[in-house]
This record gives sequence, C-alpha cells and structure tokens, in this order.
Amino acid sequence: MRILLAEDEKEMSNALVAILKHNNYSIDPVFNGTDALDYGLSENYDVIILDVMMPGMNGIEVLEKLRQSGINTPVLMLTAKSQIEDRINGLDKGADDYLSKPFAMGELLARIRAMGRRKSEFTPNLIEVGNISLNKENYELSNGKSSLRLANKEFQMLEMLMTNPKRMISTEQFMERIWGYDTEAEINVVWVYISYLRKKLASLEANIKIKAVRGVGYSLEEGE
Amino acid sequence: MSQSKYDIACDTLSPEQEFYQGSYVLLEGAIIEVLSRLDIIRKYKSTQNFKDPVEHCKARIKSAESMMEKLQRRNLPVTMESALTQVYDAAGIRVVCTFLDDIYWIVNMLRNQQDIEIMEEKDYIRNPKSNGYRSFHMILRVPLHLEDRIQKVYCELQIRTIAMDCWASLEHRLKYKKNIPNQEMIIGELKRCADEIASTDLNFQSIWDMIEGIKQNGGGDSDEDFAGRR
Repeated sequence: MRILLAEDEKEMSNALVAILKHNNYSIDPVFNGTDALDYGLSENYDVIILDVMMPGMNGIEVLEKLRQSGINTPVLMLTAKSQIEDRINGLDKGADDYLSKPFAMGELLARIRAMGRRKSEFTPNLIEVGNISLNKENYELSNGKSSLRLANKEFQMLEMLMTNPKRMISTEQFMERIWGYDTEAEINVVWVYISYLRKKLASLEANIKIKAVRGVGYSLEEGE
Repeated sequence: MSQSKYDIACDTLSPEQEFYQGSYVLLEGAIIEVLSRLDIIRKYKSTQNFKDPVEHCKARIKSAESMMEKLQRRNLPVTMESALTQVYDAAGIRVVCTFLDDIYWIVNMLRNQQDIEIMEEKDYIRNPKSNGYRSFHMILRVPLHLEDRIQKVYCELQIRTIAMDCWASLEHRLKYKKNIPNQEMIIGELKRCADEIASTDLNFQSIWDMIEGIKQNGGGDSDEDFAGRR
C-alpha cells in the first residue's frame, strides 16, 4: 500500500516515515501543501495523510482541490486538538477520517488499515461471478469469448447484483441508488432493466441468473 | 413487405457470364430458389397476423474478379468448375432481420426445408469474431430442377439484424482502405460499437417481447418475475 504523507514538521514526518516503513507501507513524504497537491493528483496513492497546518496551501485547501479534480483517494486529516472547526470543515470537504494531535501511533496505523479496507472494496476493476465478468472501467460484460457493452444504468444495476451475489436487493433499493429519490421514472422501470440484463446474461450463456422473489426483490444466483 | 421480383445485383454482367458460362444461370437459380422459399413463408406468416421477420434480402453473384482472386489465393484451379464446387459463396444471399430472434427463426425454417442440405452453420452471434463481427452464416446446397436432372448448387447465406448490417458495412469500408491513421484505435472503437450494438439488439428484443407480452424467462420462475411491480 502506498501512502502520501504531507506534514511540514520535519521531526514528526521522519518519525512517521520510519514507523510506516517498518509496517511495510511505501511512503512519500512532502512538506508543504503545494507538493501535497501535485503528488496527490498523480493518483498513485491508496491513502493520503494531510496535516491541516502547512505552508503554501493548508491541508483543507489541498483536499478541496483534490476532490474537485476527481481524486477519490481516502484522506486522513491530522488536526490540532483544539481545532474542532478544522475537523468539521475537513470532513465536509471530503476527508474520510481525522486524527487529532497528539495521537498514539497504534491508532494511526489502525485508521490507515481501516481506510485501506475501504479502498480495496473499490479497487478491483473486474467483478467476476460464475463464468461472467463485468469490467467497471468500460462497462464490458463478458464470458471470455464474447462481450457486450452495458449502458450506464444497466451497468450500475448489475454491479449491485454482482458485488452482492445471493443477496436480495429490493426494487426500491435499485430505484434509490440508481435513479435517485427525485426521479420521475416509474418503479417498474427496474423490472424493464432486469429484463434487459437477463437477456444479456442468457445471450452470453451465463451460469448465473437474476432470480426474482415476488414483493421482495432480486438476487443473483449461481448454478445451472 | 415481401419482394415480388428478384433483384440480383451484378454490375458488370458480361465478365461474370463469361467466367461462369452456362453455370451462371444455375447460380441465379439457386438464389431465386432460396429467396422464393423465404418469400412464401413470409407471406404465409403475415396472413396469420404475425410480424414479417425479414426486413430485406440482398443477393449477389460473386464477381468474376473476386472469384478468380479467391481461387488463386487458395491455390485452386481458376475455373468455373472449382468456383462452383470448391468454394461455396459464388451465389450469396444476405437476409436482414429486425430482431435477434428473427434470425434464429429463419435458420430453423431453412433447417426444416427437407430438400435443402445444410453443409455448414457458423453462429458468429454467439461466438463473435475478434473484431466484433456478428452474423449467422449458413452454406446451403440447393436442388435445381432442370429438364433431365436435379442439379445441386451451393449458396451462402448471411443472416443478421439491421443493426449488425449497419456495423458490417462500416467495417467493410475499413477493410478496403489502406494506410488509415490510428488504425488500431479505429479497430478498437469498431469493436466497442459492435458490443454496444449487440447490447442494443438484445434490448430491442426485450422491448419487443414486452410489447408482445411474452413472459421473460429466467428459467421457470416466470410467475415471480413481477417482483416489486405493483
């Protein structure tokens, strides 16, 4: 796991680098906000640790710019104990977690591990269930020899089903997650999209299928 | 609607007639035979208030030039005989359908023609070519009733949807153009389009099925298909 550490206090930074390296993380230390933004934009990191108080650009500004550029790397803010405003502001601007100084090293490591787990849920670009794979990058549904491109909503729906195989997902859950609360779409649009997906799975001779339970919802089942 | 006459496209008649000689009429005959069987069934189906599965048909006799090129490429004697017996696409028909299921309907209908032999079937819809090409190919051996004998003639069929046909005509252009810039990117983009079209074809079929009220099947539990539908 690769970590970007933006901390302007040299001693603090050296100590963190030593401990994180000792725990088998690869770590790039930077000492001001401008460098933090440049490095962060490279998208090479699994976790970014940002000190709030930094020369050049403060941690919250860096965070804001990263999120505006579409960088979703989990961010841990390091704040001074007294600065509650910083924590609220940081979290609102897109930080995933914070730790107030001084902190115990064990807690920092635990929080990094927790963020790493969150990240890894999103990393695999290929979801595979049965003989079927779904590529999150290009929306390609494939059985290895033949492939189809899914439209956006079809993709989101199948992604929900394939990341939670065997779990029942209700029509309302699909509506809320994919169409949103304020949609004008009628609820039976879900059934229409389920029909599309079923046809596509069948055409790829999939050994998984979307099972329906009346009044409950849909789930992805393997076998056959 | 069904065709009433058989347009067989062949721009330059004379070189082909020269090359195929007396067999030219046999190739025409094979095409007419297959097209007329398709026609009869289409007409019959529409009298029964069913949708005509065929959008249109196109037929051609392979030009003398490309036939000679093909024979040479395969190290076969460049003669009318080998054109009719060693390769199978001297007579060719393309059947363009509206929906995916129509393709398989046509295939089954041809399988049921007792006197037509099916020499080969290739389902490039289930198993698309690596460039994304999709169609159902069949090679038929069609009996022609002549004055004193029955002559059997090969005829190649390509059966596809309108969307597949549209893709194929674009891809065809690429094949005959040399030195295209960004060729790899274009091939990749065409493949992506093919996969999107295939996806859309399946949606068209699903929507048609919904309109017709055909129950979607997932395998038996169709009663439960209306989960959450109220």
